[in-house]
Amino acid sequence: MNKKIKEMLPLRSKAQYTAFVITMLLLLLLVLVVSVLVGSVDISPEIIGKVLVNHLTGRETFEPTWNKNTDSIIWTIRMPRIILAFVVGAGLSLCGILMQALTKNSLADPYVLGISSGASAGAVSAIIFGWFSFCGKYSTMFGATLGALLALVLAMKFATINNRITSTQLVLSGVAVSALFSAYTNFCVYHSNTSTDKVKSALYWMLGSLGGATWEKMFYGMVAFIICAIIVFFFHKALDVLMLGDDAAITLGVNLHRLKFCVILLSTILTGIIVSISGVIGFVGLVIPHMTRAIVGSGHKRLIPAAVLIGGFFMIICDVLSRVVVSPQELSIGVVTAFFGAPFFLFLIRKGERSFGGKK
Amino acid sequence: MIQLQVKGLTYSINSQKIVNDVTLEIKEGEFVGLVGPNGCGKSTLLKNIYRVYRPDQGAVYLDGKDISELSNRESAKKMSVMVQENNVEFDLYVMDMVLLGRYAHKKLLGETTAEDRRIARESLKKVGMERYEERSFLSLSGGEKQRVLIARALTQQAKMIVLDEPTNHLDVGYQYQIMNILKSQNITVFSSVHDLNIAAYYCDKLILMNDGKIVCCGTPSEVLTPERIRDLFKISAEVTTRKNGKLQIYYEPDSTLL
Repeated sequence: MNKKIKEMLPLRSKAQYTAFVITMLLLLLLVLVVSVLVGSVDISPEIIGKVLVNHLTGRETFEPTWNKNTDSIIWTIRMPRIILAFVVGAGLSLCGILMQALTKNSLADPYVLGISSGASAGAVSAIIFGWFSFCGKYSTMFGATLGALLALVLAMKFATINNRITSTQLVLSGVAVSALFSAYTNFCVYHSNTSTDKVKSALYWMLGSLGGATWEKMFYGMVAFIICAIIVFFFHKALDVLMLGDDAAITLGVNLHRLKFCVILLSTILTGIIVSISGVIGFVGLVIPHMTRAIVGSGHKRLIPAAVLIGGFFMIICDVLSRVVVSPQELSIGVVTAFFGAPFFLFLIRKGERSFGGKK
Repeated sequence: MIQLQVKGLTYSINSQKIVNDVTLEIKEGEFVGLVGPNGCGKSTLLKNIYRVYRPDQGAVYLDGKDISELSNRESAKKMSVMVQENNVEFDLYVMDMVLLGRYAHKKLLGETTAEDRRIARESLKKVGMERYEERSFLSLSGGEKQRVLIARALTQQAKMIVLDEPTNHLDVGYQYQIMNILKSQNITVFSSVHDLNIAAYYCDKLILMNDGKIVCCGTPSEVLTPERIRDLFKISAEVTTRKNGKLQIYYEPDSTLL
């Protein structure tokens, strides 16, 4: 049976792909329901259903037999958090795909390259020192995006030798960039004399959490994600070509500079906004695209929608786990994703050694 | 009609002139080989022609137009390129790989049409890989990969193809197979060639380079003389003519030359 599945992958026909997407959507729905049900406060499915219907229809379809607290737990705590989990997972997967096409390397992702750390350093600067205050309430997002951009440019600069990015160079420069920005963030947090409140919220960015989810945050994340996803989908063919290498992209007719500019811009904006909302959550952009490639192949037209669904699905599950494992306490979600992602990363490094062992 | 023209092209890497004031012309339908010892600047010259490098001085003209004024898309329609792609990390089906050759002909969001598939299939057939459509590119052997990349270049439907050592690292049978495939296409070919016998066998015209400059240019028998081979490649050679009129070069190692 296992072998049979392996022979089928990656899915070739349109029907298979469509079936896969529909399955993912159903699974997503299922995990959504489970996710609403799970929490430190037990609420019956019936009440949850009624609360949701009332809010979605905007009137009291069902007579409220529950107290206000229950209502707010479901509608203002759990719901935005679940949708935010989806957006974060989907967005980080998309960032991973963009960075992998940009570097032509399947080990690239916002976390490995140190871009998330850059974003977090930018966000912390904005919070603690009040930088970018000209952006008003968007200053954290702006700071995070700027930090992400700086980190990406640095990481790419040091990873590129002779116009090529090797896995070793990529990982090494990622480690260094990440260490640099994390050190800066730590420095800011420990040496700031500002109120503990600010420090506390800065720490939260460093660990990665969906605990502070609100409808407003969810909305920003969602809008950024949808806009980026639509734009990326417009040049899915160019990404296929870019994946083959810069030389191939030029000779096949891609406007390389414009494409790279777009990819860098979109991936840093998206990473910046996601990190400013949820903090640094590692490995999602690495694991999800990799798994998705195995299932649907590397063509971006299929890869992007599938990875977005799987990424969102994965993140919702991780969020449930983070709430359940040490209940009633809560684990930071970055810890959960790292438990999945880090072993997978090691596995990829091993695998890479085997299949590309003969090459420089 | 002149298809490709290079005028006074100079290109430096780390302030060392790798290509030094090169001027050349290739006419429509010609099969032109670029030969010369390792490090003489063949690849660098070709990279300037296929736009990975931008010349420091001089210009490249394609169908009379300065390529620096064309978009990559426009030049991809006029000139296809085949270089070795050994660093592809993401796998694609052979058919999908070949279909990427249609990129320049597509508009934004232009989807793959039945016509694109027909062209891609035809190209695969030309290189004898029609049965490999559903195979994964990374699982292919070196010679098969090269043939798929040629098929992708043919799918671009450009009138000219530029190749950088297309037969490198291949077994002798594949070397001749690749050159046969190129020879049988109705397009202008400009290729750097490692093996002088192969160059002499297939090319109408040879351009001999050394130290970033063109040494001479002409038919194989005009260019490949024992003296030049001795001077540039540091090896004694005996140049004979085969029954079919093609040149055959025999080498005789001579330790005093190196």
